[in-house]
This record gives sequence, structure tokens and C-alpha cells, in this order.
Amino acid sequence: MIQLFNVIKNYGSGKPALDDVSLKIEKGEFVFLTGPSGAGKTTILKILFGWEHFEEGQVLVQGINVGKLEPKNIHTLRRSMGVIFQDYKLLPNKTVFENVAFAQEVTNRDRKKIKFKTWEALKNVGLTPKKDSFPPQLSGGEQQRVAIARAMVNTPPIILADEPTGNLDQEISIEILKLFEEINQNGATIIFATHSQEILRPGKHRVIVLNRGKVVSS
Amino acid sequence: MNSVTQALSTSLRTTVSNIRANKQTFLISVMTIAISIGILGVFLIVFFNLNALLTSWSQHVQLVVYLDDDISPSLKNELEDMFKSNAKIQSMEEVSKERAWKEFKLNQRNNDGFEMDLGFNPLPASYEIRFKSSNNGSSLISEFAEQVRIKQGVESVEYGEKWISRFEQFMVVCRVFLLGVGGLLSLGLILIISNTIRLSIYSRQDEIELMLLIGATPSFVKIPFLLEGILQGLAGSLVSLGFMGAIYTYLKDVFQPSMESIARGLDLQFISQPFLLILVGISMLIGFIASYISTYQYMHVLNKK
Repeated sequence: MIQLFNVIKNYGSGKPALDDVSLKIEKGEFVFLTGPSGAGKTTILKILFGWEHFEEGQVLVQGINVGKLEPKNIHTLRRSMGVIFQDYKLLPNKTVFENVAFAQEVTNRDRKKIKFKTWEALKNVGLTPKKDSFPPQLSGGEQQRVAIARAMVNTPPIILADEPTGNLDQEISIEILKLFEEINQNGATIIFATHSQEILRPGKHRVIVLNRGKVVSS
Repeated sequence: MNSVTQALSTSLRTTVSNIRANKQTFLISVMTIAISIGILGVFLIVFFNLNALLTSWSQHVQLVVYLDDDISPSLKNELEDMFKSNAKIQSMEEVSKERAWKEFKLNQRNNDGFEMDLGFNPLPASYEIRFKSSNNGSSLISEFAEQVRIKQGVESVEYGEKWISRFEQFMVVCRVFLLGVGGLLSLGLILIISNTIRLSIYSRQDEIELMLLIGATPSFVKIPFLLEGILQGLAGSLVSLGFMGAIYTYLKDVFQPSMESIARGLDLQFISQPFLLILVGISMLIGFIASYISTYQYMHVLNKK
């Protein structure tokens, strides 16, 4: 489902951010990407959702050759995945409900369907009582759950999460991880970038370790 | 609701929300457009009124055909037939040598107080011809004058062609000036609106990036900004034309009587309806081009990452 072949990515001078990275992630897998800061976790995710270019190699996502995708067609790739960030990237002037609905509006979904799917997504993350709140009125854990609802509302086959528990305490982090596991059980492929040992400790899922732009273990 | 209507309604909602979020910059931009269109409009009004004045003067021009002293009666009849058969001619009056000399002497006596007696009559007989009103009066007269001038028995033809052609040349200069000013103002407007739209884009940078991240198409992102530019153009031109319309109505009330004394029957002109629509259209087009430049540049930078 997701394959990287000898990918090299440079941000300018110095060592490459990704140095000859090759990976294969199967459909329905739950994979942790881990490593110290600057290891290349975020760069891999950004390449996967077409936000960064890479100099060499090939990246295939669900049969789409990411490197050859025209800018005008990149939305087809992004619509096949939900992306979650450490800083949530919620729109502060929109309510919880509107933030989740927004992900469907950009795909021109029918308004009735948007309401129904948004309600369902908020129910899955346990946030229906907070649907009219604005992001600054929520705790970090709640904001991240909104971001998860937004990522899964279009039921994409792939979920990319970039340090989604980075700003949360351990108890909330475990709750968030459980949400991802539920989404994975429903069939989505999850790539979860983290450097938290607490998250990795249970050892239930495959872990890809990166260091200085190279895959150390997979 | 089909997907096109859905996309359009989402774009419109985003446009309104963009404008609400940047009310002040939007208003400043609208006022700048209004002032620029106003400048252009004032020039257009002056141009239209000069044009109307030219048409009105042309309509009052009379053609005087001076005859050779030894013109034969048959040639004279031929000329008269030519005048009578022309449907554009309103009236024709023959002034004999004797009448011309008598009127000249009478004028001289009234003006200078002495009676002229040369012992002979130096003035030629003539025909005074008046034309029916028409929009291309001056060109009609000059065409007709050329036809008459080459006729046998005609000594000369006069109709004040020099001042008409000077005035027409002046109108050509006016047109070039209008085009020049219009072009410069349009360029200035494109720069101003494109900067306003750029501000609007930067103030919503996070939202735009998020839209793109979650799968929005480039046109989904661009259309609200393009609509904003078009709306700025529309609002600016409407404000300007409304304001000019009000001033025109006031000036017409005050100055119409004096205008009539300068040029009989001349009505103070406003910008004609097709030109009003063209001004609004140009203003909207400028808004579109300016916002297209900004959104294109922004998306281009994003794609280069």
C-alpha cells in the first residue's frame, strides 16, 4: 500500500533529511515511526501527503506515484489520507462541529451528508457535548480528539499522525492511542510518528526506527 | 444540490467570510477603485459633453456655395437640382450678386457709418444650404462640399471646415488621453487590489494550508479570492458611478440653463449606458486579474516546497 524506494531528501546544505530511505507498509497495518528529533519522521509523513518534494527515489501510495503527481492533482492523494498534527491545526474561529465539517466541505460533499458524518465522527471520539465549543475552550486532549475526528470523517484508508500525543500527558496519550487502534481495527492503515517510549512500550505494533535520515530498524 | 452549486455556495460563503475578516482592507480597496473609476468617469463625462457640443455645432453649420460670375443658367439649374435631390439637405436659399452687395453695404453702413461705392459689384452670387440634424453631420457636409467644389460654375465652397477639423483633432487627442489615463489607472488598480488580496491570503494562510492538507483542490482555494477581487471591482465601480450620478444630477439642475445659452438645445450629458456597463465590466475584470495574480503567486510558492 505504501512504499518508499531509496528516497533522498535535502533541505539545503548539510546532511540529507532522508538518506536512501526504503520502506514498505501493508494495507491495514499500524506502524510507529520513531527516532530522535531530526531523524526524519515528519519529513517522511510530509512526503507521503505530498507537502514536500524529494530529490531522489520513488514513493508509491495506493498505487499513486507521489513524485510524479502534478500539483493540480495532489488533492486526489490527500483525499486518500487523514493527517493529524502535534499542534492540532484546528481553526480557532470555527466550532468543533465546523472544524470537522470543514474537511468534508473542501471535498464538496452534500450538506446533509456532511452533518450526518460530522455527528458520527464526533460521537466516535466522544465529543458530541462539545460540538458548539471553540478550540481555545478545549483541553489539549479534546483538541487532539477533534483533529482525529476531522482526519477520520472522510473515512480515508490511511491515517498519518505526526507526534499526535506530543503535547499531552501520559494518561490522555494512552486514550488517544486507543482511538487510533479503534480506527485501525476498522481497516485504516495508521502511520504514527512518536518519540514517546510510553506509547511504544506495549510493543503491539511494528516500529520503524529512524536516525539522522536513515532507517535503523524496521 | 449538485456538486457545482454546492462548490459555488461554499466559495461564496468563504468569500463573505474573507471580506468580514478583512473589512477594513476591503473597504480601503473599494474606495481606491471608486476614486480611480471616478477620475476616469469625470474624463468620460467631459469627453461626452465635448462630443455632444461638436455634434450640436456641426448641426448648425451652413454650407455656402459661391458661384462664378459667368455661370450659365443651365449649370445653375443643374446645381439646384443636385441640392434638391439630396435628402440630407433641409433648406436652400439663393443669394444673388445684387442682394449680397446690398446686404454687405448695409452691414458696412451699420458698423462703420459710411457707405461704400466701388462703381462695380465684387461679390459673387451664392447658395446658402442648411442640413438636417444627424450624428455624423460634419463628415456629411465635408463629403458634400467636395462633390460641389468640383462642379463647373462653382467658384468656392465655405463651411468653416478649419475649425471643425481642429475640433475633431482635439477630440482625437482627448480619446488618446482617455485611453492613456485609463490604462495607467487600470495598472495602478491591479497593483492595489492584488496587494489587498495578498493581505487577505496571508491573514488566512493557516486555513488555506489546512484546506490543501485535507484535500481541497487548488481551484477550491482560489475561487473565493477571485470572487473577492471581482466583488471589490464591482463595489468600487458602483460606489463611484452612484456618486458621479448624484453630482451629475446636481450640476445638471444648476448649469443646464447656462449650457443651453452656450449651445442651443444641448443637454448636459452623463456617461452613456454602454460605457457605464463597460466601466463596471473593466473594474470587475481588473479585480479578477489582480486577485488571480496574487493567488497564482501564493499557490506557486506553496507548490515549490
